[in-house]
This record gives sequence, structure tokens and C-alpha cells, in this order.
Amino acid sequence: MEIREVVNSLTFRYIVKYLTVLSATVFLLQGAFYLYFSYTSFRDLGESVVEELETLKRVYRGQSLVGVSEYVGDQMASPSVHRFYYLVTDKYGAKVAGDLPVAPRYREFDDGWLGFEMALQNWGESIDVDFLARPMELGDGYKAMVARDYADIVERAELVFRTLFRVMIATLILGITGGFFSAARALDRVERLNHEISRIVRGDPSQRLNVDTEKGYIRALAMVVNQMLEQMETLMQGVRRVSDNIAHDLRTPLTRMRNDLSQLRDRQAHVEGGQLDRIIEECDELLSSFNALLRISTLESGNRLAGGSDVELGILLRDVVELYEPLAHERDIELVLDAPEPQVCKGEADLLFQLFANVLDNAIKYTPPQGRIRVQLRKDAAGVGHSVVIADSGPGIPMVERKNVFRRFYRVESSRTEHPGHGLGLSLVQAIAQFHYGTVELGSNSPGLQVRVKLP
Amino acid sequence: MNVLLVEDDKQVGDFIVGELSAAGHLCVHALDGEAGQQAAKNATYDVMIIDRMMPRMDGMALIKALRTFGDNTPVLVLSALGDVDDRVQGLKCGADDYLVKPFAMTELLARLEVLNRRASSPGIEAQTRLVVQDLSMDLLRQYVQRQEISINLQPREYKLLEYLMRHAGQVVTRAMLLEQVWGYHFDPQTNVIDVHVSRLRQKIDKDFETPLLSTVRGVGYRLGPELDN
Repeated sequence: MEIREVVNSLTFRYIVKYLTVLSATVFLLQGAFYLYFSYTSFRDLGESVVEELETLKRVYRGQSLVGVSEYVGDQMASPSVHRFYYLVTDKYGAKVAGDLPVAPRYREFDDGWLGFEMALQNWGESIDVDFLARPMELGDGYKAMVARDYADIVERAELVFRTLFRVMIATLILGITGGFFSAARALDRVERLNHEISRIVRGDPSQRLNVDTEKGYIRALAMVVNQMLEQMETLMQGVRRVSDNIAHDLRTPLTRMRNDLSQLRDRQAHVEGGQLDRIIEECDELLSSFNALLRISTLESGNRLAGGSDVELGILLRDVVELYEPLAHERDIELVLDAPEPQVCKGEADLLFQLFANVLDNAIKYTPPQGRIRVQLRKDAAGVGHSVVIADSGPGIPMVERKNVFRRFYRVESSRTEHPGHGLGLSLVQAIAQFHYGTVELGSNSPGLQVRVKLP
Repeated sequence: MNVLLVEDDKQVGDFIVGELSAAGHLCVHALDGEAGQQAAKNATYDVMIIDRMMPRMDGMALIKALRTFGDNTPVLVLSALGDVDDRVQGLKCGADDYLVKPFAMTELLARLEVLNRRASSPGIEAQTRLVVQDLSMDLLRQYVQRQEISINLQPREYKLLEYLMRHAGQVVTRAMLLEQVWGYHFDPQTNVIDVHVSRLRQKIDKDFETPLLSTVRGVGYRLGPELDN
């Protein structure tokens, strides 16, 4: 099975659609989570800044400016990069304590929050870091500002985002792979079923699907198909039986009539010359139609060739050609046999003879004088089967009619009036070929008809 | 000709008996396999016509039984089963000819005549020379001449003439010729045999005063004058 087939399969497409919806949902959820995470982190940060300011205020109330300076100094000694930064100014705006510059460029946010960027020394490296800050009156004109960088929060949020993203990608990859394989498996079963069904429909409709090897819905499907085949076969047999019965039942009285007629002719030789002969001839033709019809039915309804004997196609074709050569000669048609090497196939010689005789008979019937008919025996491309091509220089059969001519009693309109025949010859040809597991194809010999019989 | 007919279908049986009597033959009709076996024990016949599917004893079983008891009367099997397999099976059983129902009475009569004559002149296969009036065939040298004039024949024409000469005076049908001379049992769509026969006729009759090979309307051909039975 090809990858393209799997990708095009309904199951796979369904899985891809499902995964698209799934990943969109996961992505939205992830976004929401990211937003919530960022929001709460910033809120916590803001709260901690406010808390720190409150602490500063408490210290100022208790120990005045000295306490504040001491407290700030202690905090500044902390080795962590992510800590509070301070600025304490007097009423003139001069810096009293802290490590923030006096007048960085602030951006003002809502609710008295400020934001600015400042370079921090981290492992001997200067990095620009975003800060969130809030000022507060301590009293007596002293102002304090506490700032906190939020690079760590952003980092954490990004980490969360990246993790979620990877999980999503992994889910998608696993999902697609799983989808591919489950689609391939389902497709494989459907494909097998499909193959089986077409084999049965093309070949022997009395066969059934093997239900035991299937499971689940495929099994249910196979059972339904089997029921359908059952009904189809019953119907086919019904139709066939009716037509067989007609042919069979009409054959007996017709035979009796024919026998009576020939008796009549023998006893009353003086009856208008030729009239009885013509009636008898008509009877014979009808009988031969019925016989051909019944033979086709028998070949098609029964089992195909089992065993058979070795038939040397070269000799068989030589015999057919030899039988028809005088007829061709009489009509000034050149009949050539080209069978360079012996080829043996399994079959019934009488039936195969009938097959090629019918084809050759048609070829001679439709080929105009000075025409040419060529019978060619070859091994097929694989070197296993046999291919017999009978090509004439007659009018050929139009493309649109080529399928129809195998139908019983079907005759190409133009030949209906010009040539005698009952329209069963090619049906019998096909029935015999199929009985031997072979095929018959019609092609153009430009000009003329080319009949290709393939036998295994 | 003395014929034993073993056939369970009364209608078909009566028809055959009537036709055979009309053609001047004696005919005994047994209605099943056992009755047929009994009849075959009680009298001798020139030929037997045996149906394949019958109650009590199947036609094939009957033929086997007859052959086992040393009865070598020629047997023609009459059957509704026309498959190749059935034919081959029938002939293997010891039958001498096989005719599928429904059949033309003329075909049956022609075949019975041939069977009868083959049985009544047992040495015919060993002959080295066939003669029909002024036409003669040397089987060893494969040489044909009429009135001392040599006739040159193609191999198939030779086989055709040989068959006709072996059954000189008898009517041979087209189906018999196809089976015996060409060795295939099939239904030709056109009378392809006629062309072969007229070719042969050109060679053996054209330059001579009395024609030997005649067409029997609606049945087949006959070489030489009609035999009287």
C-alpha cells in the first residue's frame, strides 16, 4: 500500500481534522493559562512591593530615617540579584538611602505604578532589566520607592509556555503517527476486502468472503456483502434457469418437428422443391442457437476447468486453420498461421477448437475478398501464458460496440442484414476463454479487427 | 438391423422405435437399465442405443456390465449430458459412439449404420486396400487412383476420402466427419465441411462420367451407391 493512499484515506483525513481541532483547543487553553500565570505573578509581585513599602513605613515610624537607612542597607547586602531595590529621598528630592538612581526615566502605569529599565550586574555582566516600582510618602517630606525586577517572572512564564508548546507538538506528532498507522491498518483491511469482493464478482460468484478472519465493523461489512452475494447468485441462477428451461424445453419439440419434416420430405419428394429444405434449415439453425445458448450457460454456471489435459496450441491452431483454409481460399482471403514454437496449455481441446473456430469463422465472414487473416501464437510478456491473436482486414468493430458484441444475441447493426448468424459466437468464445481462466480482447488491426485470446 | 433401445423416457423411446421401424429395422425397447441388461442377455443385437441417466441402473453401469460379460455389441450412448467431460467419460466406459439429446433422427440412423457395419465386417481395420467401384486407395503406399488415373490428395483430403471409403454406401453426417477425420467435437457456425468435401469431389469426380460422392439432403454425404440392408 502506498503512503499516498494512506494519506488520502478517509480515516487519516478524519484523524488530521480531529488533531487540528485538538491542537487549536490546546493552544487556546495554553494561552489562557499563560495569561493567568502572568497575571497572578505580576499581582503577587505588586503585592510584595506594596508590602515592602508598608514595612519601610513601619520602620520609619518606629525608628525614623536611621532605621530606614539601616534596613535598606541590610536588604541591599543580599547576594540575590532578584531582590527589592530602594530609593529614599528627602523633601528636596536628594537621595538619602537606596541603590536606585534619583531620576531614572519612569513610565507611569495605572494606580501609581511606575516602570523603568536599569542595567544590573549579573556575574560580571551588565544586563538591562525591566523594573516595576512604586513610590510612597514616609512622612516629613521623605519619600521612598521600592522597585523589583520581573525578569525571573517573565522567564518562568516563558518556561511554562515553552513546556506547554513542546507537549502540544509531541501530542500532534504522536497523534499523526498513530493516525497514520491506524488509517493504514483500517485501509489495509478495507483494501483486502475490496480485492476479495472484486475477485468474487469478476470470477466465481458462488464464493464467499471469509468472515472468520475479520473483526468488528469489517466483519459486519463482510457479512452484509456475503448476504448480497447470496441474493445476487440466487437471482442470477433464477434468470439463467428460466432461459435454460426455455431453450431446453423448446429444443425437444423443435427436434421432433425437424424429424417430422425430414420424413415428410423423404416421402413426398414432389412437394415444391426446396421449400421443405428451407424449413428444415431454419429448424437446424434454431436448434444450433439453442445448443450454443445452453453450452454457454453450462460453461458459465458450472465450475471452471479443473485439471484438463495438455493441449498443444500450435497443433490445435494448425488444425483450425487447416479446416478453414479452403473456405478462406474460396473467398479469396489469405489465411496465414504464425506459430513458431510449440506451446502447451491445460484445457479441453474440443472447447478450445470451438473457440478459435468461431473467431476464425467470423473473421472469414467479415473479411472482404483479397483480404488477409493472420493467426499468431505467442508467449505473453511474462513468458508464462499464451496469447493468440487473430487479425483480419475486414471492417472491424467500432470501439463503442466492442463490449456489446460479447452479449448473447447481440449483433452489430450493420452486420445484421449482410451476414447470417445467431449472435452467440463471440459469447461462446468468451465463455470458453473464461472457463479456461483466460480472456478475450478486441482491438483494432487498423484496418480490421484484432481478437486477442489470452490463456494461462 | 436388430436394435436394442434402453431408454426410460417413454415418449423419446416410442419416437425412436417408430422411426427405426419406419426405416425397416427391428427394435426392442427396454425401459430401464436392469430390463436392458436382461434383454441383452436373452438375445443378440446388431447395435444398442443406451440412455445415460436411467432409474435402477445407470447407462454407464449397464455398458460396463455388458463389456465385463464379454458382450461386445456396438453401443451408442444417448444422453442429455453434452459436456466434454461427459462425452469422454461415456466413451471410456466402453461405448462406441455418443450422441447428445436432442438429436436429428437422420444423425442417429447414420451413426447406427456405421456402428453396425463396423461390427459386421471385423477385418475392415486391417485392410491394405480400399475399393469403391473404379476408385481405389492403397493404404500402404497412400496412393489413390480412379480408372488407372492417379489422384493427388492433400493429407486431410486423403483422410477424408479414407473415412468415406471405409463407410462406402453409408450416409456420414458432418458431425461424424468432424469427429472422425478432424478429431474434434464441435459445432461449426458455417458448413465448413462442405468446402472440404467439394474440393475432394473436384478431384475424384470432376473428370469422370459417374459421380461417386453425393450429398444427402439435410444429413450429410455418401460415397458410392446406397447400400441395401
